[in-house]
Amino acid sequence: MIGNTVLTSILSMAGLGLFFASVLAVVNQKLKVKEDPRVEGIEGALPGLNCGACGFASCRQYAEALAKEEISPDQCKAGGEEVINRLSEILNIKIEKKIKQVAVLHCGADESARKKKAIYRGVKTCLAAHNMFGGEVSCAYGCLGYADCVKACPFDAIKMVNGLPKIDKYKCVACGKCVASCPRNLITLEKIDSRDFIYVACNNLDKGPETRKACSVGCIACGLCQKLTGGIFYVENNLARVRYDKAKNIANTEEVINKCPTKCIVNEKPKSNGG
Amino acid sequence: MINLTLIFIAAAITHNFVLTYFLGICPFIGVSKRIEQAVGMGIATTFVMTLAACVTWIIYHFILIRFGLPFLQYASFIIVIASLVQIVEMFIRKVSPALYRALGIYLPLITTNCAILGLTLFMILRKYTFLEGVVFGVGAGCGFTLALVIMAGIREELECCDIPKPLQGAGITLIIAGMLALSFMGFGGLISR
Repeated sequence: MIGNTVLTSILSMAGLGLFFASVLAVVNQKLKVKEDPRVEGIEGALPGLNCGACGFASCRQYAEALAKEEISPDQCKAGGEEVINRLSEILNIKIEKKIKQVAVLHCGADESARKKKAIYRGVKTCLAAHNMFGGEVSCAYGCLGYADCVKACPFDAIKMVNGLPKIDKYKCVACGKCVASCPRNLITLEKIDSRDFIYVACNNLDKGPETRKACSVGCIACGLCQKLTGGIFYVENNLARVRYDKAKNIANTEEVINKCPTKCIVNEKPKSNGG
Repeated sequence: MINLTLIFIAAAITHNFVLTYFLGICPFIGVSKRIEQAVGMGIATTFVMTLAACVTWIIYHFILIRFGLPFLQYASFIIVIASLVQIVEMFIRKVSPALYRALGIYLPLITTNCAILGLTLFMILRKYTFLEGVVFGVGAGCGFTLALVIMAGIREELECCDIPKPLQGAGITLIIAGMLALSFMGFGGLISR
């Protein structure tokens, strides 16, 4: 009798199990979601910071878009070259080597060089100061020094040195968060293809004498750098600029920097010099 | 017909599974942060409850009773519930990947949701007919959804409130759950069961 009960128990449970297993198997076939098996691998290769620099809300969404081959794998800025290489391996796509971009601050006036026009006691952010008649800085173009960009940087690449943000070009991945955070648009992303990186640390579009009144290290648009480099530097709207694509052809870098009357041309040296 | 209505109201409101029997508290706390999520979870659970009531009734009466094996009800009911949850999971994944991601781990956890096993066992215990069992399942699912949505609504409002620090997060959630349960106790004498 007991043997009988055990047998029927085993048989009925096995029957039920088999029945539901087969139902599940059928349903699984019917409701199969086609998911690219590469998505997992791609997501694993991404840094997983969800910084949003690629234009997607999360690394997962970027990975899904990549698997559908809607987008090129060089969008991940946080991961840099290493991640791009790994992605192109997974996706079997070759991508041209991308020139590293770096955020550059176009102002050289630190706490000591800045001229003050008033005393500002408002909210200590660049945005607030900028909207409040430009805070206490007399230059209408220059850095306000309340470190909005430092707070915006997700990669800890910007530090305040003497009231002026200093961008670590090795930590910078050119995500563009600081560019958006600066109310005076002082930060731009530039391509760096030489180890020395030369740029004009000023954004003042006023005429020379006006600039001089506002700041001791502002570009007065004298045009000397243009003459010395044969057009690689050029003056436009009372401000000297650099053609970055040709910057590595400048032979007399030191001379240009030293002869600038207001010393607003800066050479971002490699790491050994604390760049 | 009156009997069926009473069973439905009892399962949904007066003897609400979450707030009177305290079954299925895990998803009640876990998936009640947003109303849309709560509705999704509620619908999924209602679906599983209704189907589970159907299938377990059939299995109990036509297999377990016939072969004299009513002691196998726990094991066989769990098999039924687990398979149903698997089907629901596949279905939601196919139809709405966003909901699938939002429900996360709580979707497979419907399997171990004691409200569903409780429902099937109550159904057998109270000797419901097939139709009564199905209505009981729908009612219990509606009650579960109701509790989840009320909780989600309160928690959405709560996000803008100034809650004392020691009570933030789980603390205030459990206090609210308790208050909700108390208020549902007020329906207690409406239907005797």
